[in-house]
Amino acid sequence: MPPDALALTDLTVRHGDVLAVDGLDLRIGRGETVALLGPNGAGKSTTVSAVLGLLRPHAGTVRVLGRAPADAVRAGCVGAMLQHGGLPGEARAGEVLQLVRRSYADAWPLDDLVATTGIGGLLDRDVDALSGGQRQRVLLALALAGQPPLLLLDEPTSAMDVEGRRAFWATMRDLAARGTTVVFATHHLEEADAVADRVVVMARGRVVADGPSAGLRSAVAGRTVRFSASDGSTFDRVPGVTGATRLGGTVALATTDVEATLRALLADGVPLDDLEVRGASLEDAVLSLVGGGR
Amino acid sequence: MNPLFVFQLRRVARNRQFLFFTVLLPALFTVFFTRVFAGTAGGVSPEQAVATMVSMMAYGAVGAALGATVRLSFDRASGWLRQLRVTPVPQTSVVAVDVAVGMLLTLPPLVVVALTGRFVNGVHLAPGEWVGLIGVLWLGSAVFVALGLLLGWALEEKAAGGAIGIVGTVLAALGGLWVPVELFPSGLRAVAHGLPSYWYAETGRAAAAGELPPVLAVGALVGFTAVFAALAVLVARRRPLAAVAG
Repeated sequence: MPPDALALTDLTVRHGDVLAVDGLDLRIGRGETVALLGPNGAGKSTTVSAVLGLLRPHAGTVRVLGRAPADAVRAGCVGAMLQHGGLPGEARAGEVLQLVRRSYADAWPLDDLVATTGIGGLLDRDVDALSGGQRQRVLLALALAGQPPLLLLDEPTSAMDVEGRRAFWATMRDLAARGTTVVFATHHLEEADAVADRVVVMARGRVVADGPSAGLRSAVAGRTVRFSASDGSTFDRVPGVTGATRLGGTVALATTDVEATLRALLADGVPLDDLEVRGASLEDAVLSLVGGGR
Repeated sequence: MNPLFVFQLRRVARNRQFLFFTVLLPALFTVFFTRVFAGTAGGVSPEQAVATMVSMMAYGAVGAALGATVRLSFDRASGWLRQLRVTPVPQTSVVAVDVAVGMLLTLPPLVVVALTGRFVNGVHLAPGEWVGLIGVLWLGSAVFVALGLLLGWALEEKAAGGAIGIVGTVLAALGGLWVPVELFPSGLRAVAHGLPSYWYAETGRAAAAGELPPVLAVGALVGFTAVFAALAVLVARRRPLAAVAG
């Protein structure tokens, strides 16, 4: 059986006194498209850096396609877009791309790579003259230059506009369809939901949830009951309610039992103007997971 | 040829300011110090012409070695070094290319100032002395390549550019490249002896006189190079390349 694309065992990384990654265990099989989702400081970038061999973990092991991180990078098995990666000044985009392409034994043919990443008009441009979105596209071309079986993307769309994002994720879906393993860190829930077939939620250096995004949503069984209410009334003691929040004239009750909650409210004669009941969004799911145990 | 080496050279070649300050300026100084300053007093002696030429060769080489290598600080700031780390380009070859580019770029000022000395100021040396002079100053420039790499790793982008100007000026002025050390007060002369630029020029002066460089000068240069290189490695190892946040 071929080794996993990624196998992290008990990965622990400290930045000074801060425990950035705390005993992380994670396996990602070949061909999976996985989102690492979590708030800032969750340890996503640190995990990506450890996978790429950019930092030395304090404990635990990292295997990338069965190899040590540095060996996997040297062998051209990994392509990466880093959050703080960059392009050199006093160079043209095409020169940078060719330099990186030539470092791979099996480089992506230039014309096709340029067409795929949409950088046709940029090759003769000075790197310093590129816009933020154009730089990201060139960086994507660098990440893809070696046709790597594993792609690691650390918040890749942060400098892109809506159009750029859409094109970017379309490219990623094509690559995934061709068998490339794509792992991306993001705090955009909609990106994780739309692109990944598996979402790994991280908080405080640990995995707090791991599964398909639909499954993640249902893992938070609760629903929300929302209605307009006059000031002053409290709903904390209504059956099924686990939390009540008030925003202006609107009350939102998180409940584990919609029926019991509604019955109780009606029995008490509470006017339910603008009543709305909905299931948890992925955002609710993540917030509840990330907030849990705090 | 190594693609990274070619790539890096092309980038420096695009920088006209670098070429002006490291190649043209020392050559202009060579003419200025000998022709303009001393021109009224019936020209300078052949000895002074040689001494000025050697000092300006050293000055140009110091500037070129520091200026070429400190650029690594900019590549660190832009994230390019980190990006390069996630390609198959081996880290050892990145370092080797930095050293090679620094060493290669000290040659143009050495050669151009030597040509200026020969054809503008009429300096006459035996062919072997020319080769020895350029060879000694070229090898000796390794100390400033090491110093530039150390500063490039140690300093942030914004500090590095200014620091190179100040360090270059201090090395030139206090090392006796602009005004001969013989004219220094004794206290300053002691300072000069603590600087690699003084010993560097010493090896050049000996080579121009057809002598072997003094052992003390060679020892000092080797010592400075070793210390700067060791510190550069130490600082580079402590530099995190990974993103800390997130």
